[in-house]
Amino acid sequence: MDKEIIVEMKHITKLFPGVVANDDISISIQKGEIYALLGENGAGKSTLMSILFGLYQPDHGEIYIRGQKVTLESSRTAAELGIGMVHQHFKLIDNYTIAENIILCREPIHRLLGFLPAVDLKKANKEIRELSQKFHLEVDPEQKIEDINVSVQQRVEILKMLYREADILIFDEPTAILTPQEIEYLLDIMQELRRNGKTIILITHKLEEVKKIADRCAILRRGKLIKVLDVSRTSTLEMANLMVGKEFSFDINKTPARCGDVVLDVEHLSVRSENKVEVVHDVSFKVHQGEIFAIAGVSGNGQVEIADAIAGLIPVHSGTIRLNGRDITNLDVRERTEAGISYIPEDRQQVGMVADMTLAENMAIKSYYREPFAKRGILQPEVIKNYAEKLVRDYDVRTGSGVDTPMGSLSGGNQQKVLVAREIGLNSVLMIFVQPTRGLDIGAISHIHHQILDEREKGKAILLISLELSEIMDLADTIGVIFRGELLKIEDASKMTPSEVGRYMMGVRE
Amino acid sequence: MTGQKEANHDKNAFRPIDLLADDRWNKITIPLITILLTVLVASLIMILIGRSPVVAMKSFLQGSGLWPKAVYSPSKGMLTDLFSFLGIFSPMLLASLGVVVAMKGGMFNIGISGQMLASGFLATVFIGYSDLPSTIARPLILLIGILVGGLFGALVGYLKYRFNIHEVVSTIMFNYIISYITGFFINGYYADMITRTSRAVRTAARLQISDLTLMGQKISFPLGLPIALIAVFLIQFFINRTVSGFEIRMIGSNRICAQYAGVKVGRGLVRAMAISGMLAGLAGVTMYLGYYNTIVPKELSSMGYDSIAVALLGNLSPSGCIFASFLITIFQKGAVYMSSSTGVAKEIASVITGILLLFSATGMYIKYVAQRTRAKQSVLPSSNGNNQNGNGGNRI
Repeated sequence: MDKEIIVEMKHITKLFPGVVANDDISISIQKGEIYALLGENGAGKSTLMSILFGLYQPDHGEIYIRGQKVTLESSRTAAELGIGMVHQHFKLIDNYTIAENIILCREPIHRLLGFLPAVDLKKANKEIRELSQKFHLEVDPEQKIEDINVSVQQRVEILKMLYREADILIFDEPTAILTPQEIEYLLDIMQELRRNGKTIILITHKLEEVKKIADRCAILRRGKLIKVLDVSRTSTLEMANLMVGKEFSFDINKTPARCGDVVLDVEHLSVRSENKVEVVHDVSFKVHQGEIFAIAGVSGNGQVEIADAIAGLIPVHSGTIRLNGRDITNLDVRERTEAGISYIPEDRQQVGMVADMTLAENMAIKSYYREPFAKRGILQPEVIKNYAEKLVRDYDVRTGSGVDTPMGSLSGGNQQKVLVAREIGLNSVLMIFVQPTRGLDIGAISHIHHQILDEREKGKAILLISLELSEIMDLADTIGVIFRGELLKIEDASKMTPSEVGRYMMGVRE
Repeated sequence: MTGQKEANHDKNAFRPIDLLADDRWNKITIPLITILLTVLVASLIMILIGRSPVVAMKSFLQGSGLWPKAVYSPSKGMLTDLFSFLGIFSPMLLASLGVVVAMKGGMFNIGISGQMLASGFLATVFIGYSDLPSTIARPLILLIGILVGGLFGALVGYLKYRFNIHEVVSTIMFNYIISYITGFFINGYYADMITRTSRAVRTAARLQISDLTLMGQKISFPLGLPIALIAVFLIQFFINRTVSGFEIRMIGSNRICAQYAGVKVGRGLVRAMAISGMLAGLAGVTMYLGYYNTIVPKELSSMGYDSIAVALLGNLSPSGCIFASFLITIFQKGAVYMSSSTGVAKEIASVITGILLLFSATGMYIKYVAQRTRAKQSVLPSSNGNNQNGNGGNRI
């Protein structure tokens, strides 16, 4: 195999409000290799590839394709350079046939139909049939998208790239929606594509896939490039450690836990998703006063559903949830808040705050109806404002024009500080933190970690759900590892090493 | 990131772009620009069809009683026209308040026209033709307006929450249903043989005190006017200062967050639509039993749609609606006189309203461009400005 460099990204930096999505990342990809981008959710993999595909413009940095410096203004420019991307969510038209989808918006280089006003579907069908045979991507071009399953739809997406003569193929988490057999098949196809001289960039957080097919692998964490590895000479465990970053640890003075009474008692909890799939299966655990119980796991294994079910946002299928001995399984959200639950949701912007309302109003969205914030149904703006001002001072929230600033114009870190201040301000007995430091910079992370530990000192029961193993190792007193909706292991944090936790996260049972 | 010092540094300096970009100013400047653009385009149209825009604009004002006409018939005057103008301004204001409340809850009440017609019709039939003295009849009419409009609104909110039927679809359907059913009854039972509209309601029941004399001019005082002005204050207070209003705003801005915060979303939706319907009902009775005293069968008032333009122009704020209804009513009400004095078809009023709506819808875009321009300007000197609102950068 030749060593020609086909894609080179130099010093790419991409800033989003409050988040450094890509921080000075440089990678170079050789022609004909499978190059994996490995990292947790929010590590910046998708952002980096969206830049390569022309969907985002980098704030700094340069991109070279086949040695030429390029400016990728849009995905159209990228497509002209032979870059194709299979998105996580397919971009197909349901009531069009496979062939129609593939030829739709095709690039102008196409020579067969050219300027002909009518679409030559026969020719398209024939071409696509040939193309699909060549790459072993069996499809019937005349079938409609709505009649085929997701695995075939994915093949259509791949064919779409090949039809446009793309030779740099980006796959964004392609296996997330596939069954194990379909994954096997897809990985075979990728290897087939490599044999045909295509360059493949695979975005994933699944180690086994990387190990199986990738030649090289770049590990991203929190927007930074951690390391580029030769896959054949690296163990899965080593990759896992780099991915979750156990070397990345804060100096936190944590006193030993002084656990009191049981606050949260979850028994045999099962939760079903809207399409009746069991996402949480028979989970039981207890959280005590002054204890940080952390749930570790790769994203999408049911941990967020556990938090939502405890907070009352989604219905429980079976099992009971008790708070201080009281059965709260059938209470509504407000009753649970009043019973003593604070909840910082994973998605702070969509769930945790109202962007168009002011900071002061956001501080009050869980207590606005109570005295002293409201009297006989009438809000007391002065009281709300004073309360918000106090919290803004205590939690060092930086704002433009005080508490009247619209919440949406705050930076991500400051938004999260508002949420933390509000939820701690409720003075609940149980505090649920889901991904409390997601997308924040190091200063904000350490600030929030200290806040969590302070609450623990005050004797609060804390349920922490995080995808960051380092965060869990730093903070947890007890660790529960979740895999496919089941708690595989519950153990005292001091008795577990990060690599052990990592192994359970990958589904290894004893 | 080091955006902090420069953001604070720039914040104090006033630049002309702030007039449009800064939230303190653009609440006033953007509607003003909207009006200016509308008048410009309307004038252009007038010039194109060979009429003087100055004369046309003046006659709009004259028709609305805001500018003296050359001649008045005996015992009539500018005040006559002005109170007549206020008679149609009041239901417009009430209807636009209805739109505002629904929009605060994140919903589009397209059914204002239908709700107006239903309440106007029922009030006409039950009270308008009765022999009740005005002290009883008038309050009853208002009550019917509130009840009927409120029930229809609540039903729409319930259908949305319970069955996920989009309010735009259900209200459009209700508009037709109400229009045809009332049309059927008016044609069959309540029609005036000569006008083919519903028989006039009795003067004692009418929400307008006729034949008053003010400064030697005959006027009809619209009872809708005090009602509408009181409603502005009540709705302003309700939205901004009450617990229910807070919940409605939360649901309207971010329903998922409202759910997360423990707000009963269904109740909030029903409540917002019910209040919206009540205001529409009041608009209906003050229009059909006030400004007019008859109902044209099978005809939905265009006010229901115009009120959406008014609410948008008024920046979805109740007090803003006073100003916006005033403006749009000038074009609507002044159109007849304008038409007779310049010879331009009175439908031009709808064209102007349309242009106004178009420009008020672009208000957000003007704001967006202004804020982006400002952000770019503040980036230039230090090359690393990252925050439009100057809220101290991202460091924590």
